[in-house]
Amino acid sequence: MSGDRDAFDTIMRSHEDRVFSVCLRILGDRERARDATQDTFLTVFRKADQFEGRSAIGTWIYRIAVNVCYDQIRRAKRRPSESLPDHFDPSDPAADAALESAALRPEIERALAALAPEFRNAVILSDLEGLSLPDIAEVLDVPIGTVKSRVFRGRRLLAVQLGNRNTS
Amino acid sequence: MHKHDLDLIASLADGSVDDETEARALVESCVECRAEYQSQLTVLELLTSTPSVMMSDLEKAALHRDLWTELRSEPAAKTPGASWYRWAYVAAGLLVTVGLAGVLSGQIPFGGAAGSDTFAEISSGLDQFAADGLEDAPSSEFDSTSGGGDDSAVTTTAAAESLPLPFPALADQARASREGAEATTQEESEKDEIDQCLERLDLADHVVVDELELDRRYLVVMAGDDAPDQTVTFVALNECEIVYTDG
Repeated sequence: MSGDRDAFDTIMRSHEDRVFSVCLRILGDRERARDATQDTFLTVFRKADQFEGRSAIGTWIYRIAVNVCYDQIRRAKRRPSESLPDHFDPSDPAADAALESAALRPEIERALAALAPEFRNAVILSDLEGLSLPDIAEVLDVPIGTVKSRVFRGRRLLAVQLGNRNTS
Repeated sequence: MHKHDLDLIASLADGSVDDETEARALVESCVECRAEYQSQLTVLELLTSTPSVMMSDLEKAALHRDLWTELRSEPAAKTPGASWYRWAYVAAGLLVTVGLAGVLSGQIPFGGAAGSDTFAEISSGLDQFAADGLEDAPSSEFDSTSGGGDDSAVTTTAAAESLPLPFPALADQARASREGAEATTQEESEKDEIDQCLERLDLADHVVVDELELDRRYLVVMAGDDAPDQTVTFVALNECEIVYTDG
């Protein structure tokens, strides 16, 4: 059905930058983010019949992207030789290159990398990607109150990491 | 400080608190609260001032190439289910919005010889307009004059040829959803208008199986229940003209 492929192509081009952005923020590496972006849209195409329209299509695509990134991280952890910089080691010579590719200031990237994933991803989606709390709740499949709590705590922990606040 | 106080201060910092009175009072009366508030503001400023990241044109071209290489090896798409119906709406809405903007700004040519503005050409033009010269747009197999296997059963108007709407997909969806479903009912005031229009178009014995609000209002009509005919006809209601027939 050629019309389906054309519709898919339109939607892909409308969302590819946002998907790449969130994958890059989560994975911290352009090449892995590009792979994750490709996997995201493959999943979008294959699971199109599961989209029920209860959320905006962008939110649904975001959710797939975040799960694809989680899968990549889990797979990489099972293969230690290809470990992702889930928590950056500042003494790692490769860390700076990975950080630069993520287009964040190094100190922010390091501080984000030091957060536990649930706080890091909540802050990424809220403050870097600009999603609303209800949309983040949909993407992460958690209640809105949980999202709010994670975002607030994530910012506080970032402040501690950045040296703005003492640990209390 | 109690947890809820920190959350209140965080809400004040990002502007999400409903009533600032209590939060402001906390910040003004408590040194630690003020420090927490400033800290939250600093972190927010750092994060929200971060430039957005985008793929380079080369990265996008590589993504599209690899993605379509993989998708072309996928099995042929099945008849679209209900979700693809909404999918087509979303895509149609995006295409119309971008296309209208392109036409109005003069960047996309409109009209031309009958049949020349196929969906592939329009889609290609929209790709260039919307994405600034992407290299690797897939060729579109959509042709506004195609439909079922028999070309003689398909008619289009000049309006349909210029519309980037996935009529074949919508027609298949209409057939799929027709089974077991009853004809749509309209408001009494509209019924006369619809009946008169269908009569004028020699479709009085057809039933309206759906109504679409896309770039304009369409009726999706098919022959009555007892008829074996699976032809789907799209009628632009306001103009009372057939824009596409698929069968």
